[in-house]
Amino acid sequence: MNTIDLSRPTGLMLALLPSLVLTAWSLVVLLVIGWRHRTEADSRLAGIVSAIGVGFAGLATLWMWFSDIRAAGVPHMVYLDGYRYSAELLVLFVALTTCLLSLRFMGRQRLLAPEYYALVLFATIGMQLMVSSSDLVLIFLGLEVMSVAVYVLAGYDRFRRSSAEAALKYFLIGAFASGFLLYGIALTYGATGETNLVLAGRVLAGMPASTLAQVGLGMLLIGFGFKVAAVPFHMWAPDVYDGAPTPVTGFMATGVKTAGFIALVRVLNDGFPSLTDLWQPALAVLAILSIVVGNVVALAQTSMKRLLAYSSISHAGYLMVAVWAASPAGHMAVLLYLWAYSLTSLAAFGMVAAVEHVGARTVRIEDLEGLFRTRPWGALSMSVCLLSLLGFPGTFGFIGKWLIMSATLEHGQVVLPVLVGLGSLVSLGYYLPVIMAMTMKPERTPEVHRQVLVSKAGKVIIAGAVAAIIFLGIWPRIPLDLGRRTVESMTNAAVVAAEQP
Amino acid sequence: MQALLQSIGYQHWILNVLLLLPMVGVVLVLVAPERWARWLTLVVATAEFVLALGLWWAFDSATGGMQFTTSLPWLPEFGIHYRIGLDGLSLFMILLATAMMPLLVWGSWFAIDTKVRGYYALLLALKTGMIGVFVAMDLFLFYCFWELLLIPMYFLIGTWGSANRLYAATKFVVYTFAGSVMMLVAIIAMVVLVGKGTGEYSFAYDHLVQNRDLLAPWAPYLFTAFALAFAVKVPIFPLHTWLPDAHVEAPTAGSVDLAVILLKMGTYGFLRFAIPFFPAFALSAPVAAVFVTLAVSGIIYAALVSMVQPDLKKLIAYSSVSHLGFVMLGIWGGTVESVQGAIMVMIAHGLSTGALFFLVGMLYERRHTRLLSEYGGVARVAPLLGTAFVIASFASIGLPGLSGFVGEFLILLGSFGRYPVATTIATIVVVFAAAYLLRAVQQVFFNPLVGAENKAMHDATPRELAVLVPLLAAMVWMGLYPQPILRRTEAAARRYVETVTPYLTPGVRPPVTTAAGDAP
Repeated sequence: MNTIDLSRPTGLMLALLPSLVLTAWSLVVLLVIGWRHRTEADSRLAGIVSAIGVGFAGLATLWMWFSDIRAAGVPHMVYLDGYRYSAELLVLFVALTTCLLSLRFMGRQRLLAPEYYALVLFATIGMQLMVSSSDLVLIFLGLEVMSVAVYVLAGYDRFRRSSAEAALKYFLIGAFASGFLLYGIALTYGATGETNLVLAGRVLAGMPASTLAQVGLGMLLIGFGFKVAAVPFHMWAPDVYDGAPTPVTGFMATGVKTAGFIALVRVLNDGFPSLTDLWQPALAVLAILSIVVGNVVALAQTSMKRLLAYSSISHAGYLMVAVWAASPAGHMAVLLYLWAYSLTSLAAFGMVAAVEHVGARTVRIEDLEGLFRTRPWGALSMSVCLLSLLGFPGTFGFIGKWLIMSATLEHGQVVLPVLVGLGSLVSLGYYLPVIMAMTMKPERTPEVHRQVLVSKAGKVIIAGAVAAIIFLGIWPRIPLDLGRRTVESMTNAAVVAAEQP
Repeated sequence: MQALLQSIGYQHWILNVLLLLPMVGVVLVLVAPERWARWLTLVVATAEFVLALGLWWAFDSATGGMQFTTSLPWLPEFGIHYRIGLDGLSLFMILLATAMMPLLVWGSWFAIDTKVRGYYALLLALKTGMIGVFVAMDLFLFYCFWELLLIPMYFLIGTWGSANRLYAATKFVVYTFAGSVMMLVAIIAMVVLVGKGTGEYSFAYDHLVQNRDLLAPWAPYLFTAFALAFAVKVPIFPLHTWLPDAHVEAPTAGSVDLAVILLKMGTYGFLRFAIPFFPAFALSAPVAAVFVTLAVSGIIYAALVSMVQPDLKKLIAYSSVSHLGFVMLGIWGGTVESVQGAIMVMIAHGLSTGALFFLVGMLYERRHTRLLSEYGGVARVAPLLGTAFVIASFASIGLPGLSGFVGEFLILLGSFGRYPVATTIATIVVVFAAAYLLRAVQQVFFNPLVGAENKAMHDATPRELAVLVPLLAAMVWMGLYPQPILRRTEAAARRYVETVTPYLTPGVRPPVTTAAGDAP
């Protein structure tokens, strides 16, 4: 273990190394874009350069993880522990996949503006800050960096009104949510005099119940609820997911959600450990609503992207259940579920992007009919993804569901795991018809799937993700081991208190 | 034979090989050229059967415990191991599953002519799942196999089924998944409860059964979760509606697999898991009353529906509901005879209903209809098919001397002491079974030969005889000389009864004689 002192600038620079690498690299990307920005090849060049940068940031994260760099004492501004590194890797993985999946897609949809990739990198930097920060102000900063970039990305398809609508809707509601979050931060600061989560938590634990802090907590929950699209703060999600270019939808569904949930885990467990009795019921309500509304409304969807949007709302509900547990098992469930969900969703959105017709309004379920006959591997991959989202044994998604159920059952809580089970039962009702459409129904017209185009990078990503989903579903020892050690290494208030008598 | 098997270490590897071989077959079938698919499957299936046959001799009928066990760490930190084993309850399900396999391939030889490769790959994958369910001794493993079975079956029904296949396939999956999703919560809850009580978190079946007293306070909820999963599979009366649809729409091999193995997973689940985990609750008077009532209602209801069925395949599907009702009655009977009888009916039903579904498939291949009214006098042009159908029907009805009789008799004998009324009703309803099956036999085979299409039918081909003759021979053998089977199931049945007896609600105990006839 290498400890570094976060109160000194050099220490802080080292602690933020992956974000700094990516920031520097995104400036390089901007230069490259300024130099070449006319043809599809130029756009691809920017994409590849961006992907390389994300790879470097990932290497930096891995290096920090392997050399086990930890903070001495209270983690000022950023956490340095396995939980952060693994979440940061996930965010970077999402960014890498998004860049690679966009390479052909953007050209195909005639979206020749390579700034796209720079925006993906900016959003990723924001996400990195969110998953690593131990300070409310830095969380807000990361959130804004991420959100502003994603607002633009959502409206990137200039040829479609729905994309512009998505961007505007996302921007208005997102700004509103940011306001809540900022207000929550201000109130928390007002109550405790601290913005550092660990210190604020310590102050809160040592003082009588304060209305200020309680209202602040509520505001924070609302802000996060908007960002992760939990019911009743989900209204924007279906339209935005549907309108945004498909790779961006995948990016939002996985990256933004990861950043939001990891930050939420930190805020609640380190910042408000003494108010657990207050936020657990609130989370339970959010979880129940998200699971019920997300799953039930998804049943009525005909558009693939809307279906996945509602399914992602229900997954936010499952994740809320895991956050509710507020135990090491729960933290581990959040992390592994996010990995499982992101792997699966990225592959699924990759397939949807491949099927999408040029200039089509959206991808409907019936557009997938008969896909198996022309694209057997694609259809099978998509089926595996949907089964994993469903939580079917033999897939990584099942491992995630199992961890969530165990984590809550260990608390003696029965309603939430039963609800998770019922949720996946209902979700069978909308995943199964998609599988059925792909594998069992005939094509609408003989030419319907001629346009299907999976780029080489897309093939590698989808095949790799599907292989990983199955392999990790059958042999989940590596992620489980890693997850457990990661959670054990978590810096939290108790650890810090023990270190500083 | 035993010495030979021991010398090759048979007991150590057999179950693993049985699980692995079909998966190897799947890969081979997918990789090899499409025209080889049938042959490859046949070779794998035959090899599987020959290997499994050794179980008959290697099985030690003196012990009621698990044999052929293997335990390898899978996720040891979470108490999850790859634990497999087999006892008298599951032995015959394995033998039946493996023995059916070559027959299924022969049976689908010409019937399946599209997407052949996928079909045989799924058939093989299904086999691994089935064997897995019966040998899993770790609840995590069991749940995985239980659910994984759905996928091949879903695609078999949905892709190769008849007209209404999409509806039937969806219904099948939704029902089964709905039943089992709560079982997962219950399994995890049990592990947590037992883990908190004993300090050892383990999904091992033995560990959970030994510490079942810790589960007692939660037994009503946990048992309900398990019972729901199994009751859907059995299927118990009001939850049976997926069965006729799935059976009718599935291709012949799918129907046969459903009838022979999949339905037994439900009754096996009760025998192995639901009742031994929560005996006090499961066998308490009100719960037992519910299940026995449902079992008898199922027997009556299915018999009545069968009597007016115009569709031959549906008729046989409903007769399954009736048979499985008997099995449930035997399980709750709670005596060695009734439990052995339940196992016997499970085997006998597999043989007779399997044969009947094959026969319906053969008739369908010739006439492309399953409506009884379309047929007439077929025995005159196809005497071999007629003979086979009559024998299989008699076996299904429970005619003495054929397979069905032994089990039904044992169940009635063993359950009468505890549930005299229910048993009496069930006995009377056996007559109905004769009525509906004989009506079908008469309509199809013995009425006047009318219609050009019926006259043009050809008799069983050698390939079809190769499917039917082993099944018919097994029915006769089982009816005339059930002793070897009873001997192998007795120890396990006795062990089961001993585990649950202290919890049985007092009833009039019949004199204890064992089914094999020797003194207690």
